[in-house]
Amino acid sequence: MSMSIVDMCTSSRIIVTCGTGGVGKTSVAAALGFEAARLGKRAIVITIDPARRLADAIGLGEGLGNEIQRVPLESTGELWVTMLDVLETFDSLVRDTSPTIERATEVMNNGFYRSLSRSLSGTRDYMAAERLYDLYKDERFDVLIVDTPPSRNALDFLESPERLARFLQHPIVKFLVAPSRGGFRLVNAAMQPVIKAISSVVGGDALTGAAAFLRAFDGMEEEFSRRALVIADTLRSDVSSFVVVTAPSPDALTEADHFVSELSRLGIALKLVVANRMPPRFGTATADDEHAMAQTESGDLAVVHELIAGLHDDANQADSDIQAFIGRTSATFPAVSRAIATELPTDIHDMDSIAALAQQLAAPPTRQ
Amino acid sequence: MRLFAPTLNGLSFVMELHPFFTAQRVLIVAGKGGVGKSTVAASLAHLSARSGFRTLLVTLDQPANGLVTNAQLEHITVSPGRALADYLATKGLGLISRQLAKSGIMELVATTAPGLDDLLVLGRIKAFEHERPNDIIIVDGPAAGHALDLVRAPVQLKRALGSGPISQQADEVLAMLADPARCRVMLVTTAAITPVTETCEAADELQETSHIALAPIVVNKCNPDVPRIDEALLLPSTRDAYRYMSQRAAAQADAIGVLTDSLEEHQLHLMRHRADGSALINALADDLEQAIREMS
Repeated sequence: MSMSIVDMCTSSRIIVTCGTGGVGKTSVAAALGFEAARLGKRAIVITIDPARRLADAIGLGEGLGNEIQRVPLESTGELWVTMLDVLETFDSLVRDTSPTIERATEVMNNGFYRSLSRSLSGTRDYMAAERLYDLYKDERFDVLIVDTPPSRNALDFLESPERLARFLQHPIVKFLVAPSRGGFRLVNAAMQPVIKAISSVVGGDALTGAAAFLRAFDGMEEEFSRRALVIADTLRSDVSSFVVVTAPSPDALTEADHFVSELSRLGIALKLVVANRMPPRFGTATADDEHAMAQTESGDLAVVHELIAGLHDDANQADSDIQAFIGRTSATFPAVSRAIATELPTDIHDMDSIAALAQQLAAPPTRQ
Repeated sequence: MRLFAPTLNGLSFVMELHPFFTAQRVLIVAGKGGVGKSTVAASLAHLSARSGFRTLLVTLDQPANGLVTNAQLEHITVSPGRALADYLATKGLGLISRQLAKSGIMELVATTAPGLDDLLVLGRIKAFEHERPNDIIIVDGPAAGHALDLVRAPVQLKRALGSGPISQQADEVLAMLADPARCRVMLVTTAAITPVTETCEAADELQETSHIALAPIVVNKCNPDVPRIDEALLLPSTRDAYRYMSQRAAAQADAIGVLTDSLEEHQLHLMRHRADGSALINALADDLEQAIREMS
């Protein structure tokens, strides 16, 4: 049974859009949020893309941080947007989970913590999951739409909770955390070569800082892991819907194939494929008709007919490439639905264009 | 005079491309997803090699689709995921690295020092610069959104790690990044306002914060200019298509205008081609060659 966009927006608690950069993924996430709000839901769109694309698209410009902002709409539901601020999320997590204010301050003043939380690569995945947990538990929202970063590894955040839990339960980490041992100078014989090898790579200072951080963190890690695992389970359950967004270009489709196989590997059902930025079709004339007209004309008019022939060629090519992609995807996920949206002559830059995109996505796909 | 013309032409050909390809040893090609960064990197490597420069293309965990390698054009893939293991092996710690990997501690070290993989990748590139005979090393930068993380990694790791071999590695990498004769970043964008805005932000951060010099900016996938004609000459059904193309061309001109106003770097405009694989690489290499010649 394939699912319509309306079904998806009314029955899901979490919708996750994935796709490579340049396919209009953020706009699609915003359009799904718009559609959910139109259907009376209280929707929030969260983007973990560090570039402020969502802010651009809905005209919020600079200044959209971790705080949530409501988009003014004339609909029965509500549309909210927020970005992921890694540092802010980490700080509030530490405040929420630490037993005392003193302990929270100790962690936040630790040099290792400060560079860990400011560095973007791995921490971002953990914090994305943490922020999702917060918003999922927030009773002000019926549906969360998650715009993943435009990277090949965008789905890493799905595994980050397990990775984090594994990390925190690792014997070495447990050992470093153990307060009674008083640091790794007194390590037992079995640990010695391992500690030595690590510090030969990262340097002794780093390990001292890490150990101090982990000790200050002691006791918080249980709650930390618990939250991470709740969200991991939720993302794999029926209340979550995954959407792959693609454009018809060969490189975008290669990446879309990659996301389809990643979802399959992670045991997550793909609900919807969005073929976005499709070249538009005009009139009933064919590329051959336009070539023929270019032959009979001369000068600028001939150039224009050749250019229009090119538009027809683009549309034909895009249709057959998308068709082939949907065929491949249906082999893995037989129940997958599809939605189609054409490319606008200008970038999506305001709420009206988001609304127009939502309307296109909700319409039954008519193109072949 | 006519007799010398072919030689002079040949000479001027080399002279025009020469400053571009010898301005730096390492050229890191960076850009958001969808702008065609990898194809531009491969096309640039192809052009450089066919113009007589011994070229090395480095890709990160990515194949170089459609690239034909030869004695003049080599290709190496560097895997960020294996960077730590490779680094340990070069330090004579191969055995320990295998044990660490087996026990899952490698992952722990990478978690302890985020950005370590990025730094070690740059370390490999620095090693290529030092050891290899190539005239130019073109790096197909990391996947979308990650280029700034890559160049931020050395500074962040130095702050996190204090002293030690990694910190020393970070110093060496920073020295390479800050020297415009050794390394520059080539930003790739398309002629639309969103990628142009992001390119301007990336350019600011690279130059102001990270002190990394920029190569000319590549504007990829440009659509052809649309001549102004009297719409009445077109069939009604064709007018919509004409208006669409005209609007698209106007939006493209606006985006290029923003880029020109914001960044003083030269721009290399490449056309959108209906081709892929080596045909696309050849077409883009021709566009690049023409754009580089027009630059001087």
